[in-house]
Amino acid sequence: MLRAEHLAFAYGKEAQTYDFSFEAEAGAVTAISGASGSGKSTLLDLIAGFLAPKSGTLALDGANLLPLPPETRPLSLLLQSDNLFDHLSAHENVALGLPKGVAKIEGRRRVEEVLQRVGLDGLAHQTAATLSGGQKQRVALARTLLRDRAILLLDEPFSALDDETRQVIRALVGELTRSEGWHTILVSHHEDDIAALATRRYRLAEGRLTPA
Amino acid sequence: MGGGDGKHGTVVAPVPLSNSPRKGEGAGWSMGRKMLTLPPRPARIAISSLLAIAIAGLIAAVLWAILEAATEPSSASRIDIPHLLRMTAIQAGLTMVLSLAVGMALAWALNRLRFPGRDLVVGLFAAAIVTPGMVVAFGLLSIWGRNGWINQASEALFGFSLGNPAFGLSGILLAHVILDGAFAARILLARLDAIPATRLKVGQSLALSATQRFALIDWPAMRSSLPGLGAIIFLLAFTSFPIVLLLGGGPANQTLEVAIYSAVRLDFDLAGAVRLALTQIAVCAVVILLASASTPVVSVHGRSVAPRWRDALPAQALQWLVLLLATVGFALPLLSVLIDGIVSGFGRVLAQPTFWWSLATSVVIGSASAVLTLLLALALTLGRAASGERPVRILLGTPSFAYLAVPAVVLSLGFFLIVRNLGVATAQAAPVVVIIANSLLALPFAVATLGPPLDAMVRARGKLIRSLGLSGWQQFWKVEYPLLGKDIGLMLALAFCFSLGDLGVIALFGTQDFQTLPLMMFRALGAYRSNDAAAIAAILLIGTILAFVGLPRLFERIAHASR
Repeated sequence: MLRAEHLAFAYGKEAQTYDFSFEAEAGAVTAISGASGSGKSTLLDLIAGFLAPKSGTLALDGANLLPLPPETRPLSLLLQSDNLFDHLSAHENVALGLPKGVAKIEGRRRVEEVLQRVGLDGLAHQTAATLSGGQKQRVALARTLLRDRAILLLDEPFSALDDETRQVIRALVGELTRSEGWHTILVSHHEDDIAALATRRYRLAEGRLTPA
Repeated sequence: MGGGDGKHGTVVAPVPLSNSPRKGEGAGWSMGRKMLTLPPRPARIAISSLLAIAIAGLIAAVLWAILEAATEPSSASRIDIPHLLRMTAIQAGLTMVLSLAVGMALAWALNRLRFPGRDLVVGLFAAAIVTPGMVVAFGLLSIWGRNGWINQASEALFGFSLGNPAFGLSGILLAHVILDGAFAARILLARLDAIPATRLKVGQSLALSATQRFALIDWPAMRSSLPGLGAIIFLLAFTSFPIVLLLGGGPANQTLEVAIYSAVRLDFDLAGAVRLALTQIAVCAVVILLASASTPVVSVHGRSVAPRWRDALPAQALQWLVLLLATVGFALPLLSVLIDGIVSGFGRVLAQPTFWWSLATSVVIGSASAVLTLLLALALTLGRAASGERPVRILLGTPSFAYLAVPAVVLSLGFFLIVRNLGVATAQAAPVVVIIANSLLALPFAVATLGPPLDAMVRARGKLIRSLGLSGWQQFWKVEYPLLGKDIGLMLALAFCFSLGDLGVIALFGTQDFQTLPLMMFRALGAYRSNDAAAIAAILLIGTILAFVGLPRLFERIAHASR
């Protein structure tokens, strides 16, 4: 269980203060909805470690995550865009998720395996710049699979996709979350994404999360 | 060069970079909170800081040597500083106004017109930034000089000569406007090409006339660049050396930079040179302060993706006329250099051992300067991009721009004094000093070329890099280096070409045994061996074009092949 209790934050001396408390189970999608500017991205930045909270706790199965820098937190990110390096191929982008010290042949095998799982085995050597929006998100999901971190943070990951692709990628995220046992947190203002994926949902308003 | 030795700005003009992405603008920077979105790279910041301090220390040593020499007792100097200052300011001011006007007109024409070979023409104007000033000056003499093409044609057709308009203030202005006008056009064209397509669609649907379109759409897009661009052009013209040296035509049109050279090399008046240098530094510092307060002049690569919207026929006719005049005005002197070089015959020059020695010296000095500039610029920009703290970013960025306040001849004078104070023979120190000085002169352009793409990459992908836990080496080799390949090539080409065309630094340190091609050309002109000078000018021009076109392409390929 990923649990946050009174995770507090404020930008400088701004009047708006945030105080987040929530729970997210393994193998399930927890959705956060709210108006633009309500602090959804701030919440994700706090979980990912890009922002340091003033107080509060954040723990995964009882282990405190707050002392960990972003690169060692057990999580992966999937943003609306900019998840890939455009000049690298799909294969190379995924390979960035390999742990250090993996032998070359073994690394190639693992990358090919996860690309196959997301249905991209034929496009491994295409540069990211030439892939469609949906294909790019699949590559990012393949890398997430390879890294095998317990938490997946999704920041409007389907917003740039057309309806058909959106449904396919959404289904893939749901399926991988269940099969891999990820604690997936989805930030979105699209009601249909939330309805299709979430098993638990919170509404964010005035810096606080309330179960919806 | 118009502004010095080929340093006619670059694709990105060397105004100190903006340090100011604010909250919400990117992943890396914000005010008042700890920067956790940037990958932690303490080694990069440490190396960068050490280099910045070393560069600042070197510039401080140069200034100290100049200030110390200012206190030395001297015999009465005949240097008339108010006159020199007035003349320099007048020519720089006129250059600025004329270049901005030419640049705006040319950018306007290029933005509107589409024709086969347009990219080549735009590339031609972009090449102005590395064209050695003395080559352009020589080209102008070939066309407008006493025995130039125009006078020969005039005498043949009408029986009279037009005199020598290539000499004096008119010649200096013409050479400066050719180089600085083309430079301004390239920067302003990028602004016009970046106008959002939606704005053009609205304008087109409102059926705006060509004048209304210029006033309502073009002018607002260019306006914010003009103060910064004007300041850079003023500065380049104010510190111009080879053009004034070749076309000045005597003391009446001398500028501070040339007067410093004359004081050191011809009059042996060091105290006078120091007073001139201090005046020069003071004026340049004021102009830089004014420039840094204005919008940074950043050029954008790529073509306009805006829909076609042709102006009415009279405006189109005017655009073609502007383009024709500008292309002929810019290309003709360069063409004349090539033709004169070929007609004069390379054989005589190529047969001289001195030529080969000078060529080797130029290539070695240029290559060493370019590599040193690359190492310094990479270290500074990687460290700068790795830091989210505004004061650190300013600290790491500022020293590399010191050249703008300490121009070539002044820097050279400072090194000259340091070498003298250390008791080292000038000839012995010359190669090292010339390499370091040329690197420092190219550094602001290099930092302005590499800095923005690195900053943009870290802003856009900082979170991703950090969350993936990439090491510093992985970040450089997998992400930064492939992205920077072409920029590194461009930067090396700029540094190499600047050094190849330099006369300001070598002028004080050159000896009979240590001379580069520009110095050999200058000496050939001084000895009335104009055929030799013509051949050397043509070789310099060809070398510059090859390096400027070839190096960015070569490095783009290497960067992609190396992955």
